[in-house]
Amino acid sequence: MNALRAIDPATDKGPATGRPAVEIRHLSKWFGDFQVLKDVNLTVRNGERIVICGPSGSGKSTLIRCINHLEAHQEGEVIVNGTELKAGMKNLPALRRDIGMVFQQFNLFPHLTVLENCTLALVRAKKMSKAEAKEIAMRNLEKVRIPEQAEKYPSQLSGGQQQRVAIARALCMSPKIMLFDEPTSALDPEMIKEVLDVMTALACEGMTMLCVTHEMGFAREVADRIIFMDQGEIVEEAPPQKFFGAPEAGRTRRFLDQILH
Amino acid sequence: MSSLAILAGIFEGFRITALVTALGLLYAIPFALLFGIFQHFSKGPLRALVTSVIEFWRSSPVIVLLYAFYYSLPAFGIYLSAIAVGSMVLGLNIGGYGSQSVRAALQALDRGQSEAGLALGLSRFNVLRFIELPQAITAMIPTFINQAIQLIKGTALVSLITLTDMTFRAKEIAQLEYNPVGVYSGLLLAYFIVCYPVTIFGRRVEFAFGKSRQKINEF
Repeated sequence: MNALRAIDPATDKGPATGRPAVEIRHLSKWFGDFQVLKDVNLTVRNGERIVICGPSGSGKSTLIRCINHLEAHQEGEVIVNGTELKAGMKNLPALRRDIGMVFQQFNLFPHLTVLENCTLALVRAKKMSKAEAKEIAMRNLEKVRIPEQAEKYPSQLSGGQQQRVAIARALCMSPKIMLFDEPTSALDPEMIKEVLDVMTALACEGMTMLCVTHEMGFAREVADRIIFMDQGEIVEEAPPQKFFGAPEAGRTRRFLDQILH
Repeated sequence: MSSLAILAGIFEGFRITALVTALGLLYAIPFALLFGIFQHFSKGPLRALVTSVIEFWRSSPVIVLLYAFYYSLPAFGIYLSAIAVGSMVLGLNIGGYGSQSVRAALQALDRGQSEAGLALGLSRFNVLRFIELPQAITAMIPTFINQAIQLIKGTALVSLITLTDMTFRAKEIAQLEYNPVGVYSGLLLAYFIVCYPVTIFGRRVEFAFGKSRQKINEF
């Protein structure tokens, strides 16, 4: 059904036999009195590609921000690569190096060149030599097809180029999991494809990915499972074929009607 | 006494004016950076403490601080030279203002900047050092130059605690010459001669950093 998929998730449990990449159990989170996440349960196997969609304010960004602890949760467990995330834990920076994140607003460092954006954490967190870091950075910039822009500053690039640099910057840390928080929502329409192409290529390499996105073409093509969230809950969780073909929940159907015009 | 002679006489006090300014900056810059950063990151009682230290230096009249420290400290057995007291008081007063520029610049940064750094696995300290501070300091430069000029002008007050700076020299000459108009016009000119190059220097620095600041704005 899907030529892109290297392994069929229905029969193959992925390359790793150990613990899942992400285990979320009974996760609840409040912003003040407002409950953004309500008893969320989700397990992501190594190599699995998950797309999370849902109306704005449904908690999907908050959910993936809990996975690298940019947001602290109040109840439940978040276990990433076998380690439970807790407030105030000492080895959080080290854990985060295994989790790449791509933001809606790119969040490139404007005072650094593209190359320096990519090498900063390699040199300062992984204590690599500059030469070594540069080699890794150039390899990843080539991967997102933008090596010729290495010496430029982010403001000199288009939105699509900036987002590809942001992906390369995250890949430089050799993460085991990649989180994408609406990576194409801030882009002009003509730049969306170049970013999705990079993400698709990444998916084909077997990267474990969680993508919050409304790009349903991408979801259909790449995702192993699509998760629909509404009002802080996971409402629907199904492979693309079933998700688009025969969604169970009424809320999912209404949402799909609205975005698939 | 010719105008030129008056000006030359006033500039005999330049060494003290420059020395108090330079020492004052040595107090002002670290104080502004440390307390601005502490105020930005601290919470609860610690923040209240940091804020009260800043407010003490920022909200008291400099002349009162000068007298208080110069004349009261010896009563507590602490003997400091007029230069030491003058540069400390002026420096920390300006540093108090500076701390607010530092804090404002840190607060103005997009939260996504520190989040991106943290997500890459950098420590909180390295995020501050390599991501937030470089951008904040660039944004602060115009304010900072302004405050440096305020400091130079503020040094005129140390003439009140016996230091022979430019203002003190002018007062001496005025008493000898009975020519207050000539002498104090000369003093105005003298401060202009000292401060204007700093303004020009400030513009240069701003221009040099202009490129990267423009980048931040575009971003």
